[in-house]
Amino acid sequence: MSWPVAVRAALVLELQQLRRQKAFVALTVLAALTFLATMSLFGLTGSELPLAVVDEDQGALAGRFVHALQGVRHAFSVRPMGGDAALAALRSGRVIGAITIPKGFGESVARGDTVALVVRVDNLNTDLTSDLERALPNAIVAFGDGLGLPGLRARLVEKDLVTHGETGFLAYVSVSALGLDALIIAGILGALAMAREWEGRTVKMLRLAPASLGTIVAGKVLAAAGVAALAMLVTTLVVTFGYGIVPALPIGSALAIALCVLSFACMGACLGALLRRTLAIVPFVFGMAMPLYIDCGALEPTRFDGEWIWRLAHLSPLYYATGLLEWTFHGLRVTPEPVWLDAAVLLALAPISATLARIAISRRRDTEHSRQRPRHDEIRDVPA
Amino acid sequence: MPGPMELAVTVSALTCQFGGLLALDDLSLEIPVGQVVGLVGPNGAGKTTLLDVVSGLLRPTTGTVTVFGQDVARRGREVRAQLGVVPQETALYEEVSARQNLRFAAALYDVVDEKARVEAVLAVVGLTARGDDAVRTLSGGMQRRLAIARALLHEPRMLILDEPTLGVDIEARHQIWSHVRKLRGQGKTVLLSTNYLDEAEALCDRVVMLRAGKKVAEDSPRGLLARAGRCVELECAPGEAVEIEKTLVGSPGVLRIETADLGLVAYIEGSSSPEDLVRRAMQVCPLSGFRIRSPDLVEVFRALGRQGGQERGDAP
Repeated sequence: MSWPVAVRAALVLELQQLRRQKAFVALTVLAALTFLATMSLFGLTGSELPLAVVDEDQGALAGRFVHALQGVRHAFSVRPMGGDAALAALRSGRVIGAITIPKGFGESVARGDTVALVVRVDNLNTDLTSDLERALPNAIVAFGDGLGLPGLRARLVEKDLVTHGETGFLAYVSVSALGLDALIIAGILGALAMAREWEGRTVKMLRLAPASLGTIVAGKVLAAAGVAALAMLVTTLVVTFGYGIVPALPIGSALAIALCVLSFACMGACLGALLRRTLAIVPFVFGMAMPLYIDCGALEPTRFDGEWIWRLAHLSPLYYATGLLEWTFHGLRVTPEPVWLDAAVLLALAPISATLARIAISRRRDTEHSRQRPRHDEIRDVPA
Repeated sequence: MPGPMELAVTVSALTCQFGGLLALDDLSLEIPVGQVVGLVGPNGAGKTTLLDVVSGLLRPTTGTVTVFGQDVARRGREVRAQLGVVPQETALYEEVSARQNLRFAAALYDVVDEKARVEAVLAVVGLTARGDDAVRTLSGGMQRRLAIARALLHEPRMLILDEPTLGVDIEARHQIWSHVRKLRGQGKTVLLSTNYLDEAEALCDRVVMLRAGKKVAEDSPRGLLARAGRCVELECAPGEAVEIEKTLVGSPGVLRIETADLGLVAYIEGSSSPEDLVRRAMQVCPLSGFRIRSPDLVEVFRALGRQGGQERGDAP
């Protein structure tokens, strides 16, 4: 056989096999798209800080200052709003700062007086505050330069309203990474535990047994969660003693990680019962985990262009996990929702996912089996 | 006057359809308690589908199935507790040991005195010595025996064996047959599917022949053989075989004639005289020999299958 024929034969065979693995191919395409989404989200998170602007002056110069804020490249996503709304948005984590342009701003600038601008910052981590501190003088200088003001100087005076320790970027990210770890490890283990039943064809035995399928799923999920919890324990010890990140609430942190592991193992079990193939699980979990991770405020509080990505983040279990973990480790509130709600969502996802997995196992009509069976007439009489 | 026969399984007007594929077509069947009943038929005949419906794994499109008087669709859990099923694919966990497989199954079936039962069933199938070995290290025959052991753990009233000797060697096959015979001796009801007709002949009290989802015949193996009449092998040259066939086709008492390596094989009604047939053949051409014998189940199946196909208007 000549080599082109062999190449063609191998190519055709491979394509024929892939045609029979439609879910795997579809998930591979999805994984490619999700990695694109990951990097896009990464760019969006690092680009613009959502900043509330309360314009009490309403004059032309105040307008030019707002324009100057918008003009600093990749710095601010300016959101004009009233004083109360700005405070509420700041408290709920929807903006990272609120700048107030006081009444008489225009007149003071015109006279060449020094104007004090009050900027309230939700100082969740040092990286975020540093970004703001770097960008604000640029906007002020650009504003003065546009007006031809001579000898303009910007001086930042920092005043903490709430006593707190600074949370470093690494400390912030490491904690949210624990959520990502839990999702990937517990999710994959839970999914494999279920998918193996189909690949080993043992699911038939489970269906035949008079025992409740719910109890079987529960046992499998607990085993997956147990192994994942062990892995998370090691990782958490590294974060605590290696990185020196001491949880603000040690027991609360342990419970939060345990809740994440259990919830993600249940979701993995549901995924495994739906996909039924271990091959499809790993690309799917990895493909979905990264964009979900970035979308959930894991790197720092969400500061995206527009609302829809933030709304989408609510579909991600990591959103709630990050909210819960950042609170238990650093005492930070990074979601507008209360922490108890984050915990409640994770808690609710566990039984919902496990129930869906049970339903997927108990589906009695096994059409796949009937499709796989050979259909040729054959009757045999083997000599005994 | 004998009392009514107790039924283990009653299948009534069962139809199973997967999309455009009619897997079971208006099938009815009764299996008395204590009998070994074999479902035979080619691949795709509907044997596994029927077993899946009886064991509650598959919901039929129409029709009902009761097992020991309980409706499978409504009381699936109670029915499954009375069944021991050995699926075609054995459904064993290959990475763990035989004992661990059995202990897991014992837990699912709520077996009392689990340890003793596990050892007992391992002894029944002769796998005590290999009990701690991973299932993947066992031969195909051993895995089948282990699957039978698992099905026996909870002492079910009825066993369902889906192609119990598929892919095993002759020795393992006979060991499995021996276990099935022991079960019959214990008064267990056994429903098995096979496409080895000698297996059905050796093990079953009754045989149900399926083709394309329909019941082609149901009888004892002996009854089925009797239905197919007798078989006369006529030894002659190929050219002479054609002439003889022309003469004999359509003759009274001749069911069908097939060409064979030795010449011809004629199937005649039980009441017909084979000697007459041989005489008529010898009037056409000289024969180098002839043999009169009973047909085997393969020939019965082919004969009945052909009749069934003609009744349904299938292509011959």
